[in-house]
Amino acid sequence: MTNDALVTFEGVVKRFGSFVAVQRMDFEIAKGEFLAIMGSSGCGKTTTLRMLAGLEAPSEGVIRLAGKPINDLPTWSRDTPMVWQSLALFPFLNVIENVEFALKMRGVGKAERRRRAEQWLERMQITEFAGRNISQLSGGQRQRVALARSLVVEPEILLLDEPLSALDAALKVRMQSVLKNLQRETGITFVYVTHSQSEAFSMADRVVIMSRGKIEQIGTPQEIYRTPRTRFVADFLGSSNIFTGKVAAAEGGIVTLNTPAGALSLASPDPSAHAVVGQTASLTVLDTKTNLALRSPSGRDLNAIPVRMIGEEFIGATATVYLETRDGQEIRIQKSHEELANLPLQIGQEFEAYWSYDDGHLVMEH
Amino acid sequence: MRKTLSLYGLTFSLPLLIWQLLFFVFPLVFLVALSFWTVKNFRMQVDFDSVNWVTMYGRSVFWKAYGTTFALAAAASVLVSALAFPCSYAISFKLSETARRWAVFLMVIPFFTSYLVRVYSWQIFLSDAGIINVMLGWIGLGPYALLNTVGATMIGYLTLTFPLVVLLQLFSLVFIDRTLIEAAHNLRCGRLRTVFAVIIPSARVGLVIAALFAFILSFGDFVSPIYLGGGDPTTLSILITDTTKSGQQWPRAAVIALTMIGTLLVVAFAAVRFAYKGRTK
Amino acid sequence: MSDKDTASINRNRAVDGALKLYIVLGYAFVFAPIAASFVFSFNSDRFPSIPLGQFSLEWYQAVASDPLVWQGLRNTLFVGVTVGVLATALGFGAAYTDYRYRFFGKQVYLALALLPPTIPVIILGLAMLAYLSRINLSGNALSVIITHVVICAPFAMAIIRLRLSQMDPDLEAAAWNLGASEWAAMRHVIVPFAMPAILGALFITMAVSFDEFAIAWFVSGLNETLPVKVLGFLQGQVSPRINAIGTFVFVTSMTLVILAQLLLTGRGEKNRPAADE
Repeated sequence: MTNDALVTFEGVVKRFGSFVAVQRMDFEIAKGEFLAIMGSSGCGKTTTLRMLAGLEAPSEGVIRLAGKPINDLPTWSRDTPMVWQSLALFPFLNVIENVEFALKMRGVGKAERRRRAEQWLERMQITEFAGRNISQLSGGQRQRVALARSLVVEPEILLLDEPLSALDAALKVRMQSVLKNLQRETGITFVYVTHSQSEAFSMADRVVIMSRGKIEQIGTPQEIYRTPRTRFVADFLGSSNIFTGKVAAAEGGIVTLNTPAGALSLASPDPSAHAVVGQTASLTVLDTKTNLALRSPSGRDLNAIPVRMIGEEFIGATATVYLETRDGQEIRIQKSHEELANLPLQIGQEFEAYWSYDDGHLVMEH
Repeated sequence: MRKTLSLYGLTFSLPLLIWQLLFFVFPLVFLVALSFWTVKNFRMQVDFDSVNWVTMYGRSVFWKAYGTTFALAAAASVLVSALAFPCSYAISFKLSETARRWAVFLMVIPFFTSYLVRVYSWQIFLSDAGIINVMLGWIGLGPYALLNTVGATMIGYLTLTFPLVVLLQLFSLVFIDRTLIEAAHNLRCGRLRTVFAVIIPSARVGLVIAALFAFILSFGDFVSPIYLGGGDPTTLSILITDTTKSGQQWPRAAVIALTMIGTLLVVAFAAVRFAYKGRTK
Repeated sequence: MSDKDTASINRNRAVDGALKLYIVLGYAFVFAPIAASFVFSFNSDRFPSIPLGQFSLEWYQAVASDPLVWQGLRNTLFVGVTVGVLATALGFGAAYTDYRYRFFGKQVYLALALLPPTIPVIILGLAMLAYLSRINLSGNALSVIITHVVICAPFAMAIIRLRLSQMDPDLEAAAWNLGASEWAAMRHVIVPFAMPAILGALFITMAVSFDEFAIAWFVSGLNETLPVKVLGFLQGQVSPRINAIGTFVFVTSMTLVILAQLLLTGRGEKNRPAADE
């Protein structure tokens, strides 16, 4: 990975007064990848992006772009065009003038400027709006202008700061595919900051999850989804049931935890997975892999706990059933309507929730 | 929101309307009528005669004063805009929130404190034995005649307009979306270039309106040209006072005043057109 | 490398320093005449210049012993207070009209309410003098008051309108909904809410009236009507007495303007929103 790293963060820290926005960040962005940085507001994701663009200076550490440190490089001396959440289109310039702006700043001649800007307008399918004012465009059209404005210089990297957050749901999905295709076709490295899991997971090759200025996990969407590395990530994704307890045993590839809901086991593919008896750990299991039955299921290598139903919710083809364990923890399962058809879904009904050892995943507390 | 005005509504709406009709609109309308009156034996007579217009517009003194006044006001407007801009720019972008509030607070005070006295005080600096000449004397220069010059008139105009222009520029500059500046930097636009490529176009309406106000105030001002400029060259405002003093020629003064109002209207209209040019199509 | 709180890579210290120095110079230019008037009003020399002479109160004594000045002061205060009250009342009415009503010709109404200060004083003076003498109102305090209200009401209107625009538009309707008549809602909701702006407008209009006129009253003590006539007196004269009067004028207007600003910026306002616990 090191060889084709376009950007490296080495021990980067960012403080605002006494507030630490980013703490000791080390990671790389590979050439040509679509990287999403995700987290809730105030987690430091936008600050990270702004440091890369030179809009904030790191308090400590080094940021390298193509191997060269860029800490002290003013914004206008780096080629890190960005798409703002507000888009930041110049209202006093029309569409094509906005797109030409960066070329003009580079001293590209008028005719050449126009030609290249028109190419991008065409590519973004907004040629007909070339002479319009920004205020006359729809949200989606503005989005395309902002992309064209940043991409017209054909940079190696494009920074995007929650660019879709102002759009309605349908347009958002359409713009996601526009962005993904654009990235694939141009091969430009995209760094995409978002708080939306669906945006990050549907577009990105790799996802960085941040919390309180720290990186919690970096990986492909599948990796993160299936094997959240920390309890925070599992919680943040919100798609797993989490049981926390102490490690009671760890042998033969099976780890057992004593949790308030009972003794629960899981198959640990990596026996040395630093599970030490007596330590606090969590078992996570995806809500889609958690099953429901009226009576205790028979079968080997299954966890089963008694639960009581407290609510349900239907969204499209799937249903979510909310349940409570004996010790009062809320869990949920997600199934299709067919899978739930034979169960008497009534509030207060007692069930057994069960899942296979293989579907459990171990998260050690730090 | 109600569409019709009730007795309750009229109680609040009417007083100002009546007052401004009686004491603002009518006097100005009366000025128009007055410009057609005639003066015989130092007494004004109700009349409808274009003689005042013909006489005034036929005099080179009038046109010379008109040219002078227009040129001085235009120069003052450009000069004060250029001098005030770095100040309002620095207040908007280089000061903390608290310091900016103080700056506005301090700038509002002179706007409302006696212009006449402030102009008077400039004499202390500018007179032949005044502070500036004494200080120049220390390094072996001068004394120079600073008072009763066009330069002194300009200082008076600056005194009159600088606080207002700074405030108006400031209000358009602080509302510029800061991400536009970041976006410009991000697209390889350097510091100084950003001022001309992004900040000035963004604040255009405010900057033009500020310059317009500087023009209006300087164009009509009579304190600085008389008191600091020594009445030479003659401006329209001086011409008005001279005309009223000499033989009750109020109708002719009315001609000058109406010409001034007409000029201001045209300039204001042109400035507003320019300010909003290209904003909406 | 020390902690960088802002994007200091995009800043240049020398440029920032120069710009801040420029701010100081700008304010020095604006306040120089005010400061000079203040300093030389306490200077014993007949002719104001440097080096300074002795500290002296003789010009204040000379001014204070002039009965015409006292009469002028009384007249000025009378005019200022009357103008302030009238202009604020008219301005409030206009601001409320703009805030609440939509009607045909509103643009014209607003133009009438806001335009007068943009007309040069000399032209307004000429028109007023000619018009008021025609309807037998010229030459007394009343004519001064009338003229000043025309100039001052727009300031009051602008200040109060700004405050009303900060008011939740549902507040008045809520009062009606709770059984208040229009008049009761005005008295118990609108006026209390706009009170800081009403007082601010009162002070500002008093200051404007005071400035337009104070000198005329002080130096003549007569029923001088417009600043045009002031010039006749001032022209060619450099008297430290004027510095003494000028300082008094500055101190008074500044006090009024500062009071108004304190009211309008809500400093010292008690009911700030409490933090959620």
